[in-house]
Amino acid sequence: MSLLELRHVRKHRARGSHRVEVLRDVSLEVAAGELVAVWGLRRSGRSTLLAVAAGIELPDSGMVLFEGEDLGARGARMLGEGVGYCAQVVAVASRRRVIDNVRAGLLGRGVPAPVAYASAHEVLGRVGVERVNGLLMGDLDAAEAVRVAIACALVLGPRVLVIDEPTKGVDLLERDKIVLLLRSLADEGIAVLVSDGDGSGLSDADRALTLADGELRGRNSPQMGTVLPLRSAGSSSGL
Amino acid sequence: MGEAKREQSIRSPVTWTVLGLVIERPSYGWELSKRFERLYGDVLPVGGESNIYRALEALHGKSLIEELEEPRTVAGTSRQPKQHYRATTEGLERYAEWVMAGEREHRRRSLLFARQLGALAQEPETALAILGRYEQAWLDDKGARIPTASGFATRPVPGLADRLASAYGRDVKAATLGWIEYARREFAALTSRDPRRL
Repeated sequence: MSLLELRHVRKHRARGSHRVEVLRDVSLEVAAGELVAVWGLRRSGRSTLLAVAAGIELPDSGMVLFEGEDLGARGARMLGEGVGYCAQVVAVASRRRVIDNVRAGLLGRGVPAPVAYASAHEVLGRVGVERVNGLLMGDLDAAEAVRVAIACALVLGPRVLVIDEPTKGVDLLERDKIVLLLRSLADEGIAVLVSDGDGSGLSDADRALTLADGELRGRNSPQMGTVLPLRSAGSSSGL
Repeated sequence: MGEAKREQSIRSPVTWTVLGLVIERPSYGWELSKRFERLYGDVLPVGGESNIYRALEALHGKSLIEELEEPRTVAGTSRQPKQHYRATTEGLERYAEWVMAGEREHRRRSLLFARQLGALAQEPETALAILGRYEQAWLDDKGARIPTASGFATRPVPGLADRLASAYGRDVKAATLGWIEYARREFAALTSRDPRRL
């Protein structure tokens, strides 16, 4: 069974006075140990797809399942306990220390401060930025900020990691290292779902898919054959 | 070696690729065959070590490579000294021309594909099916994987060729996927199932 599954998910957004269907009957499975990349142009719906997949947003219809359990029914409780989510990293002039940022999730779950500190320290080492634990969040460069965001998710021990455009804004020579980090997390057994706008992660993913006009194309399950886009979303949905 | 033979052009990509390896570092047949396999094995079948020696012979015959004065003993082996080759100035110039010619051919083929697809304006469903398969082929392609092994430490700049290939591959892939999406919208607009018309 796949760790994460989206079944016939539909999602709409308001765009001016219009209501646009951002996700059209999207189905996707991600298994433990898989790195799955979804490529799309801007405004293709890729960030919405990931937010829905992580349980941050609820679909208008369809289901999102983690280990067969409906994320919509469990709500935010699932976040951090089974599903880790990293939104697009936006540079902020935060005065918060990195180590405090990473351990905040543990402290919020009642983990004793010394244990939380040790865990945060360890996970920062795991993602390759142990050296920045005493820095302020606002002092990080883009690649470091992404790694710290991943650390914030990892410290809670997720089995699924959903990460939105981890290479966006990252220096060209650092992008490969971010992708290799995600590859290594998948190789450790985490199901990793990543969105991509620059092609960085496509060739190292176990499966790559595209999202356009809310329609997901490609191999949408570990076992499934190619889903050729011979019918547009418009006709298949009967709209 | 007659002048006529020297003027015959080298057609084999294997031969030109061997020249590139010699330019990278003066070397000998066996080592070149191993380096060839490591760097190009997935995209350019060499068809046996003997073809490397044929390539060296052809390159030498056209004065694109030359023998080093003294055969060198290869570190770590007890075998007899190997005849090493290095590229001549003409070899370097001709190699650069060949690389550029390949790039021109690549662009020509891409344009051909785009225009031939455009001939299906009256058959947009067929064009969309082709685009679907084309897209899936790019999505399945693993040729641009990020190199992880420093494993070729003997190269002058370890991993450089692999990193260049990886970065090129992924940038081309992203650009191609963008183009596929553009083409798909063009053909979808020619059908009754353009989602924006509905």
